[in-house]
Amino acid sequence: MRAFYTLLLTAVGFWAVEYAIFHTDAYYTILRHDSSTGSVETYVRNELKRVRTNPRQVLTIGDSRMGFLPRYAKQLQPGTGYQFATIALGGATPRDWYYMLRGADPQANKYSAVVIAMDDFEDTEIEEDLSVRAVDLYYLIGRLQYSDLPYFAGSYRHNRALEWDAARGIVLKGLIYKRDFQEFLLHPLYRIELAQQARRDSFFWYYSYVGSNQSLEGVQIDFVNRTVTVPPGFTEAQKTAYAFRFLAPRPKDRGMRSEYLHQWLGKIYEHYRGSKTQLMFLRLPRGPFVRPDQPALNPHSSVRELALKPGVMLLPEHLFDSLEKPSLFLDQLHMNGPGCAEFSRMLAREIARELDAL
Amino acid sequence: MLFNTTQFFAFFAIVLVVFYTAPRFLRRVILLVASYVFYLSWNYKFVVLLLGLTVVDYGAAVAIESASTLRKKPFLLISLAANLGMLGFFKYYNFFAGNLAQLLRVPPHSWALSIVLPLGISFHTFQSISYVVDVYRGEQKAIRNPIDYALFISFFPQLVAGPIVRAREFFADLNAWKHPAQEEVLRGSLLIVLGLAKKMAFADQFAQIADSYFQNLAAHPGSWAAWSGVFAFAMQIFFDFSGYTDMAIGMALLLGFHFPVNFRRPYLAFSITDFWHRWHISLSRWLRDYLYIPLGGNRGGRWMTYRNLMLTMLLGGLWHGASWNFVIWGGYHGALLGIERMMGRREFEKKPPLWLYPFRALITFALVCIGWVFFRAATFADSRYVISQMFRGSGPVEILAPPWLLAMTGVSLVIAIIEEKFEWTEKLSHGPAWAYAAFTILLLLTVELIGVTERALPFVYFQF
Repeated sequence: MRAFYTLLLTAVGFWAVEYAIFHTDAYYTILRHDSSTGSVETYVRNELKRVRTNPRQVLTIGDSRMGFLPRYAKQLQPGTGYQFATIALGGATPRDWYYMLRGADPQANKYSAVVIAMDDFEDTEIEEDLSVRAVDLYYLIGRLQYSDLPYFAGSYRHNRALEWDAARGIVLKGLIYKRDFQEFLLHPLYRIELAQQARRDSFFWYYSYVGSNQSLEGVQIDFVNRTVTVPPGFTEAQKTAYAFRFLAPRPKDRGMRSEYLHQWLGKIYEHYRGSKTQLMFLRLPRGPFVRPDQPALNPHSSVRELALKPGVMLLPEHLFDSLEKPSLFLDQLHMNGPGCAEFSRMLAREIARELDAL
Repeated sequence: MLFNTTQFFAFFAIVLVVFYTAPRFLRRVILLVASYVFYLSWNYKFVVLLLGLTVVDYGAAVAIESASTLRKKPFLLISLAANLGMLGFFKYYNFFAGNLAQLLRVPPHSWALSIVLPLGISFHTFQSISYVVDVYRGEQKAIRNPIDYALFISFFPQLVAGPIVRAREFFADLNAWKHPAQEEVLRGSLLIVLGLAKKMAFADQFAQIADSYFQNLAAHPGSWAAWSGVFAFAMQIFFDFSGYTDMAIGMALLLGFHFPVNFRRPYLAFSITDFWHRWHISLSRWLRDYLYIPLGGNRGGRWMTYRNLMLTMLLGGLWHGASWNFVIWGGYHGALLGIERMMGRREFEKKPPLWLYPFRALITFALVCIGWVFFRAATFADSRYVISQMFRGSGPVEILAPPWLLAMTGVSLVIAIIEEKFEWTEKLSHGPAWAYAAFTILLLLTVELIGVTERALPFVYFQF
């Protein structure tokens, strides 16, 4: 029995050490704030410790296209009566949004509204199968708990290897943190200082961001002749990217994105179901140019079906059409500084109006 | 199924459970089936080859034992021809065909065949040869139970890359099989974790550095880069092969078998003679007993000894792979061993005084590293280039390994030095549970945080 007890002690000891380092806040003290995991953790933790001056809180979420900057909404605060915050993060997808929202608002009772930015309301197909996006595991590892194992790992069911990686990663989080840890080993003192600084100041770094003043003025898309014209100073790579975004044929509908959005937006809905929080979906400005082949209305899309449920609404689909111009865009996807400012003010006003109307 | 995969650990766990829950008379069959399943998972086609050689050697040994003295030899020759023939065909055909073509000035691939090297062929053929030769010499009884013999040849912990186990060692364990003692279970488990850490955290990390250097030599000019690239490979091959061996010995221990030690801190060797007493010991032993001594060993005078040493090392080099680089590697070591003998054998077998030891160990390590260049470089021209860079290269001060990996290597060197003096990992399984647990946890964390887990890299010696 000596061998059994010694091996048991080893197994329990390993689990305890692993748990103490990676399943508590311990590792966060050295985590790089701008890594995938670090970004999610920084956003969520900043939101958790943000000073709330007002019980009427609104939180927005989305990916890098969600150009909502709370500093502009704040300028309207006396008028709107709401305090706005955002945890929108570049590269984050609805799966990430669910776990980020759960982290920021575990009891689903902090916000009057949670506003979710969508590319469109029709579940339009894209090339990538988001359900097997490996990087989500890296974004979310700090948020995931043992109890998430079946659901989160199961969400990778279209790819058995990733499903296994996700399950293994939740149990042995060090496997996911390892790249960060190896980088930490290169410059440990610098990293500790950086992590300290980020914990102290990152909220203001992000809050102070006002976006770039660059724009796409001068860029022209000829949808008839399928050509892109760019003024001097633009690169060939940029031109190619614009052509891909606006002229390439849309991927064939495989139902994958719709299935994915139903699953994860549904999960967000479940989290807030029965709460006082209003879920609002907005359609982001589609871009500096609007393709003529817009997707047809899909009555069974994820957001349209959710909007039929209590506590969920769609903001007017064409609310931001006026922002869809080259002068307000930095590139083919993202709004620039003036675009974000205008978008933020418009969105804040609209949210306040909708909430007040309830 | 690589040892460093979850798939393999699941397989091994199933084998352990089935083995220990089955009635005793079935256990050999279970191990045999498991070994063949393991082999099948690599390439099912070569099972026929493994089975064929097993039948031939089994039959030859029984025939040798039953035959009168004069009629033994043909059976020995049949067995040797079968084993060396298969090894020669699969491993060396293209090498010799290519060289012959070059000699006859015809295109080098004129007679080349598309041949896949059967996994572990170099190891299981050597093991078979040693068994049949031992039976021929009367040092080993022929095994009458075909299942026992088939298990000896195919036993999965050592089938692919050794250690090369002697029949008498294996059958002593098999015939008097006992449940592993508590300490053996602990030691076996520790060796598996230790091997995994060596492979995944050290070997695979160094492999990335060595590969990036040797695959693009022009990108890293200068002696700093050359020495650090070669150093990375020296670390890779040691941690890789000794990691594999630790795992093999550990798994065998958990199944109640005792494999011989294959590595004893080779980079602490104070001479090349000492190095070969510490590196791939089971192969050195095999080459000594079945090649060097039959060639005459050191019985024919000084020059015959040098000749035998050189022949043994040349063939030992060629055993590693079908390329002139391996022959040169073997010849290089043969020459160094010869030089040491010439300078006085005792001097190089006797441990130097403490003040001299580090210097001697460093020189030995540097000499071994020079040899590794031939082992790793793709061509002879590459080897020459790397050697020239090591000694005459001018270029930036570029150390290819990151400082933390070098620091970890430094820690492992300290551990090895302490181990050399106290053999404390051996004692861990007899010591307090907390000490065992603490060390094993440290190893597991090393695997978790440093190990290359994105993909399972094959063991270097699997290609041999």
